[in-house]
This record gives sequence, structure tokens and C-alpha cells, in this order.
Amino acid sequence: MMYHQMPIPPRSEHLWRYTPWPRIHPTKTDDVPSADDVIFSNDGPQVLNSIQPSQDSQGDIARAFLQAAGGSSSQMSLNDESEPIHINARASGHVAVGHLHLDVKGSAVVFLHISGEPEWVGLHITGNLHPNAHLAFGFINELDSNTKFLRCEDWQLDRDSSLEHATLSVGGFRCKSDLRTSLNGTGSSVRQSITVNADGSRHDDKHVEIHHHHGHTQSDLVMNSACGGNSHFIGTGLLTIAEGANKSDASQVFRNLLLSEKARAEAIPELEVLADDVSAAHGAASAPIDRNQLHYLMSRGLSPEEAQSVIVNGFLYNAFSNLTNKQLLEEMRTRLTVHLECELKR
Amino acid sequence: MTDDTQDIIGDYKYGFHDPENSTIRFDKGLSEQVVRDISELKNEPEWMTDIRVKAYRHFEERVMPEWGNCALLDSIDFESITYFLRSSNKTEKSWDDVPDDIKNTFDRLGIPEAEQKWLGGVTAQYESEAVYHSIREDLEEQGVIFLDMDSGLKEYPEIVKKYFGTVIPHSDNKFSALNTAVWSGGSFLYIPKGVHVEMPVQAYFRINAKNMGQFERTLIIADEGSSVHYVEGCTAPSYSTDSLHSAVVELIAMDGAKIRYSTVQNWSSNVYNLVTKRAVAHRNATVEWVDGNIGSKLTMKYPSVLLKGEGAHAEVISVAYAGKGQHQDTGAKVHHLASNTTSNILSKSISKDGGRSSYRGLLQVTPKSTGCRSKVVCDALILDSDSRSDTYPTMEIGNSTSDLEHEASVSKVSNDQLFYLMSRGFNEEAAMGLIVNGFFEPFTRELPMEYAVELNKLLELEMEGSIG
Repeated sequence: MMYHQMPIPPRSEHLWRYTPWPRIHPTKTDDVPSADDVIFSNDGPQVLNSIQPSQDSQGDIARAFLQAAGGSSSQMSLNDESEPIHINARASGHVAVGHLHLDVKGSAVVFLHISGEPEWVGLHITGNLHPNAHLAFGFINELDSNTKFLRCEDWQLDRDSSLEHATLSVGGFRCKSDLRTSLNGTGSSVRQSITVNADGSRHDDKHVEIHHHHGHTQSDLVMNSACGGNSHFIGTGLLTIAEGANKSDASQVFRNLLLSEKARAEAIPELEVLADDVSAAHGAASAPIDRNQLHYLMSRGLSPEEAQSVIVNGFLYNAFSNLTNKQLLEEMRTRLTVHLECELKR
Repeated sequence: MTDDTQDIIGDYKYGFHDPENSTIRFDKGLSEQVVRDISELKNEPEWMTDIRVKAYRHFEERVMPEWGNCALLDSIDFESITYFLRSSNKTEKSWDDVPDDIKNTFDRLGIPEAEQKWLGGVTAQYESEAVYHSIREDLEEQGVIFLDMDSGLKEYPEIVKKYFGTVIPHSDNKFSALNTAVWSGGSFLYIPKGVHVEMPVQAYFRINAKNMGQFERTLIIADEGSSVHYVEGCTAPSYSTDSLHSAVVELIAMDGAKIRYSTVQNWSSNVYNLVTKRAVAHRNATVEWVDGNIGSKLTMKYPSVLLKGEGAHAEVISVAYAGKGQHQDTGAKVHHLASNTTSNILSKSISKDGGRSSYRGLLQVTPKSTGCRSKVVCDALILDSDSRSDTYPTMEIGNSTSDLEHEASVSKVSNDQLFYLMSRGFNEEAAMGLIVNGFFEPFTRELPMEYAVELNKLLELEMEGSIG
């Protein structure tokens, strides 16, 4: 269905409960503004080809909008890559849109860095992991603090493939992400880590769907957020296990650390299980910083700000602990440390 | 009972029905006139008629919920339902005076026996209105008011007017609007300051007629420092056409009061059970919902507590069993509206024979509520490959000093546990039964003993044939 034919989703759909479509749309909901390109670049030998973006919106208004808005569209084919690949996505202007497709047939480590100062940026990332392919994917959002950001991702995993997916979300003013992974083949697995550090009046809404369509599939999601100022973080997860997808193993953990009186956090980890021989669990926790930990660090000479920063760093580091790819883990932790040190110096 | 009927009823032991012998029966369908006629028939004050009409108009305007099992909700035909049916011309105080056919029904359900043994008071509601009501004299002397809701409105209009619809306004949802428009029966319970009602009071709700709508309204007020345990049970015959049960239950626990509200819902599998239950807990008050859902075709019920006063506490323990053709969409909602409030939610569900159980919950901490604590645990067992289990929890945290945790798991019965029990001489069915009873044990231990025994028996019946 085309964007203009779609009704505005109601807030009873939890995907749109906290960030309704009109709040993330760049202008008015009946408008599709002409979008500038998000410029994708890569320093390595891999080629970014220009392609037609996917026309499958899955009935989702955000995907349909990104298709209608146009923008740039690139594809990269990956086989066995010895070195990590860094793709830079640069956005500028009033409204910028980019589509990126990764076709993975071997083992690869890819980092996507998005930066720039547009008023609004939309990004649609799709990926196919062929049988036995392994991808470690790191997404680093370093957009300007006044930018509105809409991000959709769709990953299809074939037999015995694995995806390790890490997100560091520290940029943008109002962010809405809808990240979907389909485990379509036996033995496929996804490990997903999301780290959010929000301050000021930043609003960050992360929705993660993982669908176990086949048996003997695995998923593991960890989402940690640290919210200060007036910031608001929303983490929603939908984990489905289809009928007959026995021996699936799925877990979701959502943790929120609230650093100020006015910070808010919502956690909605949902499960839909239609098979009986599975292991599915989720947990969510929300709490302030432990005063004993603060006291311990301050008694060793750290200022309150430094002590808090150390605790936040440790807490956010922990979100990446389910990753097994060392290059991915180290890069994400380095980026996080740099971000927190910059924050401390402000 | 014919063989055909027995086929429909299956193992449901309360599936019998009596010949309908109504003294007043409204035509099927709902209109403003029906609402006004119910109010007129009950000789209600004008303010109540106005509330009913207002609620009816809201019901007409309000769309069906766009979440939950929309397919089943949309299949409800509001025009095929009878909204009022009177089986007896008055509420009897002596069991002997209850009409024979109705008395026989409740005799078979064991109500008089239970009353003699362990109840502080009992109300028996048959179709739209209470047919029998009694309370122990010593409680009455202490000022405890326990009446059916219609009598409560007649005898204590000022109390009812003060609290009716304050916890659940008619505009809360489509079904609370429907209930407010056509409510009939239910319990009115007032516990004076400092009075502790040691024995539980009970209400029993029975639908007997086909295509019947039962819309009881319950209001319980526990004044400062008082305590009470209220128990309700529900059954209906198994017909091939559906009935609707849409109750509204409002609890008000004043400072330091404690209310425990226990339900064992065992409607037959042709009943839509769409109930709104909510409590307000003032300073240092405690509200406990103990909620068991075994029967019905579709249950949508999320007992809630508004923790309005500092130090208030909420406890929700619920179990759901979803068998063939059943969807138990249950859960709990706790709103921490004041500082230093605490809550615990424990939910357990079993899905079997293609049944679907869903936990849907909300935990909210408002920005000004400091030092709140809450823990939510949801466990689900799926006993076969045709069944389904969902968990839809929501945590909205607006205050940084709150400590909240939620955990949930979905699994099948552990082969190790089955093997352990079978190696000690149990056959597989008995071993499975023991594990299921153990799984529900945190719930059954909170029930009065008679209810716990009854619940275990019901589960045993439901579990028969679950192996192989």
C-alpha cells in the first residue's frame, strides 16, 4: 500500500503509543516533502552500488513514507571480509533520506556511522544473510542534537546464519527506530544490544521485533538506557515464536537507569509464543543510581559527576556484554567511552 | 439433561440449567428506552437514571477496543442479548423462601452449605438480580452493611451517590459504559471504621438463561482501619449461543484499611467475560486482588489499583487456564500515584488444547511519586503445540527514585520434573497434574480452603486427557 493510502496508526498500537506518527513526521502527515540524499561512503575496497529501494513497506507507515520520500539508495555485497568496513552516512539539508541494503554471503564486520545536521533524517536499512553468513553490525548515531531521526531496519536471516547487532544511540533530538529481524532458517541466530544515553529533552523510542519463524533459532536482546535531564526513553520489544518453531530460545532484557528527577523511561517487552517446546523469557528493571556505589567512588576521591559517569559507563558497557565479536565489542565500547568523556567535559 | 446437552457441556460440572421461569423479561436488544425502563422498574432516583442514560449514549458513541482479541470482540451481537431478566420478585433473607427452582440450582452449587460453615455473609445473584441475601447478625450490629446493590441504592442512596462511578467512571471504556447503563444486582459492602470482618463475605453469580447479559455492579468501601475479605464465584450453563458478563467492581480502601477481593471465575465456555475491576488505596491502605480465571470463551480482565495515598500497597495474584476455544486475556494494572507506595504482581497461566492465554499489564509511576517499589512476575506453561501464550507488559516510569522489576518466562512442563515424579510411581497424567497444581500453588494458598480444594478439583477435571 502506498503512503497516502495508509491510515494514521492509532496510539493503541504500541509501536505508536509514545511517539505517534505525527510527532516523527518531518512536516504534516499528508505531506511527502522532497528529500535530499543521505550520502553513503566507504573508505575500503567494497563498492556501494546504486539500486532501486525496496517497495515492500510491510504495511508499515514509516517504511511506506521513506519509500515515497525517495532519497539515496545503495547496496553493498559482502563475502568474507578480513577487515572491518566503515560506512559513513552523511545527512544535510531540511529533509534527508537514505536506503542501504547489505547482501551478506560470508563473514563481515560493518560499522555504520550516521552524522550531520539536517532538520530531519530518515534511514531504511535492509539486510539479507545467506546460509552460513555471519554479520557483526554496529550502528552509531552521532547526529546533531537538534535533528529528528526515523530509522527502520529489516533483516532476513537464512539457515545457520548469525547477526550480531549493536546500536549506540547518543545523537538526535527526537529518534524513532523500528528494528525487525526475521529468523527464517533453522539454526539462525541474532544477538542484539542497544545502548541509549539521553540528556536534555532528548526523546528516543526504540522498537525491536524479532520473529522466530523456524525451530532451533536463537535470539538475545539487551537494551540499556541511562536517562538524565528531561529526557524520555521508550523501549518496546515484540518477540514472536511461530507455531512449530520448537527448540527456539529467546530472551529480552530491558534496563533503565534514571539519572534525574524528570527523566522518564518506558519498557514494554512483549512475547507471543505459539510453540510449546521453547525457552522464552524477558525481564525489565528500572531504578536510580545506587547511592552506595556513588558513595564508594566519591570516598576514593571522585567528584559526584565523575562517580556518576563511571557508574553510567559501567552500566552502558554492560549492554554490549552479550556480543561475541571482539571487533564489534571493542569499537562500540570505545565509541561509548569517547562519548561519555566528552559529556563529562561539557 | 439430554445427551446432546451433555456433549456440549463436556466436563464442565456447572453446565446444567433450569427451565427459565422469569417474572419479568425484557425483549432482546438495547436502546435508551430499555435503559430508562430498567431504572423505572427499579424505582431509582432521577440522578441514577441520568447517569444510566449518559452512559448509554457514551456506549453508543464509543468504538470497540482496537486491541486484544478484536475478532472475538467484534462477534458480540449486542442486539441479541437480553439486558434484564427478573427471576424472583424479591430478595429473600431466609433460604427456605427462595423459589424452589433457583434454590435447587444454588443447592447444587453448594452455596447454603458454604454459608453455614464459614461465611460472614452471602449474596446469591440469579440472572439480573439477587435472589437471596444474608449477613451474620454480629456483623450487622457492628455497622457492617452488606446488601445487594439495588437494595444498597434504596437504603443508602447518599453513600452510593457519593462513591458510585468515582473509581470507574462510565466513560472509562465501552464495557464500563454498558454496565453503567444497564447495571443490575451486584454487592454493596460498607465496613465501618476499625471493624475487622474475620470471615469472608461471598457473592455467587449465576447466569441461567440463554443469550443473557449479566451486568452486576459491586461497590465496596472499607473505612479507616477496617478490613474485609470478599469472595465471588461465577458459573453458567453451557448453551450453544453466547452470553455476556460485563461487571464493574469498585473498591475504596480508606486510610489504613485492607480489602482482599478473591474471584474464582468458572463461566462456561460460551460466556464473554469483560469485566472492569479497579480499586483506590488511600494512605497506608492495602488492596489485594486474588483472581482465578478458569472458564469463559473470552475473558478480558485487568484488576487495577490506584495507589493514591503514601505507603499504600497493592498485591495482585492471578492465574488463568485457557483450554479449547478459550482466550484468557488477563493481567493487572498498578498506578503508583503517591510516594513510598509498593506493589507485587504475580501472574501464572496455562494454555492447553489450542487455548490462548495473554498477560497484559501496566505499571505506572507518576513523576511526583518517590521511593516506589514494584515487582512483576509472569510465568506461563504451554502444554501442547496448538496452544499459545502472550505477554504484554508495560512499565511507565516517571520518577527516578523508583525501583521496579519485571520478569516473565514461557516454557513447557520440564521433562526432568515429569521423569522425577514418574520414577516415584506416578503415571504421566498424575505427574502432570501434580506439576500443574504446584505451578498454581502460590494462588491457591491465598484462597479460603474450600475454594482452593474446589479449584484443584476443577484443574484436575480440565487436565484429564492431557497426556498422549
